This record gives sequence, structure tokens and C-alpha cells, in this order.
Amino acid sequence: MFKIFSSLRKEYLLLINDKVGLALMFLMPLLLVFIITIIQDSAYKMVNENQIPLLVVNHDAGKEGEKLVALLSKSGLFKIDSQNAVPQKSLKSELLSRGKLIALYIPETFSAGLESNARDVSNILMDDLGLDRDTAAREKVSMPTLSFYNDPVLQENYSYSVMGIIQSYMSVIENSLMIDRMYTTMDLGGGSEKLKEKMISNRVRIDQIVASNNNSTAIPNSTQHNVPAWTIFAMFFMVVSLGSNIVKERVNGSFLRLKTMPTTFMLVMFSKMAVYVIVAVVQVVVTFSMGIWILPELGLPKLTIPSNLIAFAAVVLISSMAAVSYALMIGAYARTEQQANGFGAISIIIFGAIGGILVPTFVMPSFMQFASNFSPLHWCLEGFYVLFLKGGSWEELKNVFAFLGIFILICQLGTYFKLRMERII
Amino acid sequence: MTGAACIEIRNVFKKYKSAQENSLSDVSLTIDTADIFGLLGPNGAGKTTLISILCGIIPPSSGIVNFYHNRDIVSEQERKSRIGFVPQEYAFYQELTPRQNLDYFGAMYNLGKSDLEQRREHLLEILGLSKYADKKVGTFSGGMKRRVNLAIGIIHEPDILFLDEPTVGVDVQSRNAIIRYLRQINENGTTIIYTSHHMSEAEEFCKHIALIDHGRVIANGALDDLKAKHEASSLQSLFINLTGEDYRD
Repeated sequence: MFKIFSSLRKEYLLLINDKVGLALMFLMPLLLVFIITIIQDSAYKMVNENQIPLLVVNHDAGKEGEKLVALLSKSGLFKIDSQNAVPQKSLKSELLSRGKLIALYIPETFSAGLESNARDVSNILMDDLGLDRDTAAREKVSMPTLSFYNDPVLQENYSYSVMGIIQSYMSVIENSLMIDRMYTTMDLGGGSEKLKEKMISNRVRIDQIVASNNNSTAIPNSTQHNVPAWTIFAMFFMVVSLGSNIVKERVNGSFLRLKTMPTTFMLVMFSKMAVYVIVAVVQVVVTFSMGIWILPELGLPKLTIPSNLIAFAAVVLISSMAAVSYALMIGAYARTEQQANGFGAISIIIFGAIGGILVPTFVMPSFMQFASNFSPLHWCLEGFYVLFLKGGSWEELKNVFAFLGIFILICQLGTYFKLRMERII
Repeated sequence: MTGAACIEIRNVFKKYKSAQENSLSDVSLTIDTADIFGLLGPNGAGKTTLISILCGIIPPSSGIVNFYHNRDIVSEQERKSRIGFVPQEYAFYQELTPRQNLDYFGAMYNLGKSDLEQRREHLLEILGLSKYADKKVGTFSGGMKRRVNLAIGIIHEPDILFLDEPTVGVDVQSRNAIIRYLRQINENGTTIIYTSHHMSEAEEFCKHIALIDHGRVIANGALDDLKAKHEASSLQSLFINLTGEDYRD
């Protein structure tokens, strides 16, 4: 027991003497969570809370164009910049010069075309019902075309979303015109408002439901991404401290000296793993505490602790073991401390980038999404996502444990064989 | 006072996988209890390989190594607890203090807490390290680091002590302190097996020597006998006579 205690104490003393390593493991994640969460949160707000700037050029001779602009404005989704004096041919250059991303052009015949179409529909209905139709001769105007301009930098799906919104308001206007026309033809006076209201209020609603196994309605926010993401990043950054410790012990002969002593190398490795797993757990406690208590004070979303605490502990533990095992392997293969620090740090940044720590994987191209499967950081993050967003379902965590289990095994075997080759074990 | 053989090396060969030639070829030696035995030879002769085999760091390719005729030592763990090893490198933790280093390595030698504290303080005192016992070893001079390196190897009072160049790169004062202490523990019965390139130091310190070159033992016996046999006035001239003047890399 005294031997185990001494071995753990030695690892602890080495750790607390490594000021740079401690700063990387504890200060770095706190700073990263703080800075990146603020940046990403304002980006989220820009998309979710700010209005979309929309340049509108309304050349419609009638009233329907104005109605459409009024509906778009009333929706609260758009910040409308009306520039009716701008001719259509110069709208492209106007869009770019005004720094707007989207513009809507309403043609002169917009109202006339819609009214003409409403009349046609009404006449068909009257004919089918055997009722008198509007027989006054009027000029037939074809259905109008709205022009939607967008900056090429705008993502296609974003443009389609905006066009979908405009289309939805167009349906309201067209239906309204048709009802008015039919009521007029049938001499029903102004009683169409009730029908219009009924038609609008009875449209099929779409309820948005977050897919979660415990009926949780938690939606991922910048805190829920950044706190676990940068904690995992910092956990793996222990490669700088633990990796270089192992290189030092290999190179200076401490490991070989231990081989001449009546002790087992397993004790050395166990002590290292135990101390650094505790370090990783402390990292989680410190960074998550920041997410729970400090970030809300700064107006950022509060971190909600997962409801499945056993699964939470298991994910923290397996993520810690993955980080420790990777650091052991780097320490076993690096020839110098510089190699361990340089390669270790760069490999973690690359693993972080492809694993969705820096940028979420769903915005990556498909081949990069496939590549993310080979990053241990991706699977650790995936584990935390399952905890936060899917109620910590054991079923969903199966893949996380399987991949990280294989990763740990590979790292441990790699370490064992290298130390065996060097006759340390 | 020398006595019965404590180490018997019989026909030991060692060939590393990547090497073209044997590092040790048919090495046979007997080292008596309480002897100070010098393993001398030019660079690359095979001294460190032989010490590594004796300490159990690497196995021989063939041959036999017996400790105390295998009578008293019943297990590998027991053999390890009775030997001490002081490597040429500073094989300890520079970030820790001498006290912390001795605590760790002492515990690895299975010393209990009170025994360890007693021996630790004794060694720090004897080797002139008490004043610096709580300072990080990384800040020490070469001589002080050598003394820490030695203290770790003898914290458990081994029966057999292997020293690989224990005084390389140290000042005269530290060298004297180290040699004086080694003589003292030898007088108390510790067998010392020692390698060095300092011929004058070896001549003064060793009772018996074995000269190794190209992995073979080329001379072995009491120092005075060897000098007489090869008509050499000193160990250095004996060394040059037997190993030649060519550079060794």
C-alpha cells in the first residue's frame, strides 16, 4: 500500500511541478469556453434573433404589392429596405452596393395579374355551379413573376428558406383575392372576411419536436457545444504533460532503473493513469462549473447537467481513459520531449478539427463527416451530445463506448509493444 | 574482506538483434562477496551490456549468471531487492527534490516508511545533501546530481552494488566523497561492481579487475598480479598494453 501511495505521490508531485502542463490543462479550456462561447452565442443570436435584411423594389401599379410588403414586414423576419425608385435592370448592382444579401422585385403587373387569375378561377367556379358569371370584358393579364435576387455567397438552402416564406405570404394574398372575387360575383357583399380568417387560422400547423429519449426539449446551444467540446480538447492536451513525462523517464533511464527494482512496471503505469484520469475528472468539474455558474452571469446560456448521471460518469471516465491512453502512446513513441509536445499538440488540434470540436461536423462536407469517425475527440463529444440532447440513452451510447474502447485498446497495446521493444517492460 | 563467490558468470554471450557482431562473447567471471570489482575497457567494449545483464535489464543470448550459487535467492524479486544499480545517466526526477526522489525509489525497493525516513536522512547527511534536501535536483551541480544518483542506488543497503561510471563529470570534492562512502559500505560487506574510464581512480579503488575488449574478457584477476604478469607500471599502461592505442568509437 505504501508503495502504491508513493508511486501516486510521485506522479502528483511531477504534475504540480509542471506549470505549463497545468496551465494547458486547466486555464486553456476555461479561456476557450469563455471566448468561443461568447463568439458563437452572438453568431447564433445573429441568425436566430436578428431580422434578415431585404431590399424591396415594388413597381406594382395596384395594391397587392403593398400588401405583400406589409405582410413580410409584419412577420418580423425581415428588415425591409424599400427602394421603389430603383429600376429592375440596376437591382443587381444596387443589391451589392448596399451590402444586402437578398432583394425582391415586384413587377408593375403584379396586382393586375393576380386579379386576372382570381377572376378566371371565379368564372370557372360559377360555370361549374351553373351560376351567372362576370361577363364584363376585361384584358387578360398573365400571372406575374416575382424576382428574387441573392448574393452568390449566400447558401442555397438559406435562399430557398426565404423564398419559401415569400411563397407562403403569396398564397395568403392569392387566396384572399379569389375569395373576394367569388363573393363579389355572387353579390355576397363584404362577408368574405370571416371566411378568409377561417381559412388562414385552419391551416395545417407544424409542431417542432426535439428528438430526445427522455422527452427532454433541450435544444443545443453554444454552451452545450462549447463546454464539453473544449473540456475534451483540454483532456487530450494532457499529452503535453503526460507524454513529455514519459519521454523524460524513458530517456533519462528512470524506467530502466525501475526495472532493476523489486517492483512491477504495471504499478508505474497504473499510477500515471490514475493521477491523470483524476486530472481529467477535475477538468470536467472545473469547466462544467463554469458552464453552470459563470456563463449565465455573462448572459450566456446555462449548462444543464444531463439527467442520466451514471451515463454521464461513464462518458467522463471513458473520455478520460481515451485521453490518458493517447498521451501514454505518444510518450512511448516520441524520441524527445519536443517531439511529444509538438506532435502531441498538433495531432490534438487536427483530431479536434475533424472531430467537430472547432466546427460542428454537420456543417462539414460528407467526406469530412466520414473522416470525423476516426477522431477520438469526435466520439467523446458524441457521448456528451447523447447525454445533453438525447437524455443519455445507453442504446445511443453503445457506439461511443465501442469506438472509444477500441481506441483505448489500440493505444494501450501500442504503448506496451513499444516499451517492450525498448526492454522497459 | 573478500569471501565466497557472490556472482558467477559462465559463458555469457549477447548479440543484439540489430547488431552484426556479438556484444559479449563467452564471458566467464567470478566475483567474490565484498569485493570491489572493476569492469574496465574502452568505449563499446561491452561493459554496460554486461552490467545490464547482471542487473536483469536485458537477458543474455546464452550463458548463465548465478547469484550466491542460487542458494539464498529464491525469486527474481528477492534478487532485485538485494542489488543496487547506479546508472551512468541521472536516472531520477529533476523536478523533484532529493528527499522526494529517495522517498519514491526507496518505496519501490519495498522499504517501510520509518526505515525509509531513517536511511534517507542518513544518506543525505553522509553525502552532503542535507542542506539541499528540499530543493529541486534540476538546479543542482553535476557533482550533487551524481551524489543523488548514488544515494538512490544504495537507499535499501544492497548486498551487491553496480556502478556504471559513478564519478563521470564531477569535481574532485564530489569524487572523493563518493569514493570514500563506497569504501565505507564495502567495508561493511557490500560487493561493488564498478565501471570507469578513470584509470587512476580504478587503480586506487578496485581490488580485482576484468579488462573487456570487443566483448571478450582479455584479462582478469587481482590488480597487482595483472600488472606484474604484463610488466605494467600502472593500470593505465596495462590498459594500453592490452587494448592498444587506436581510437574507439
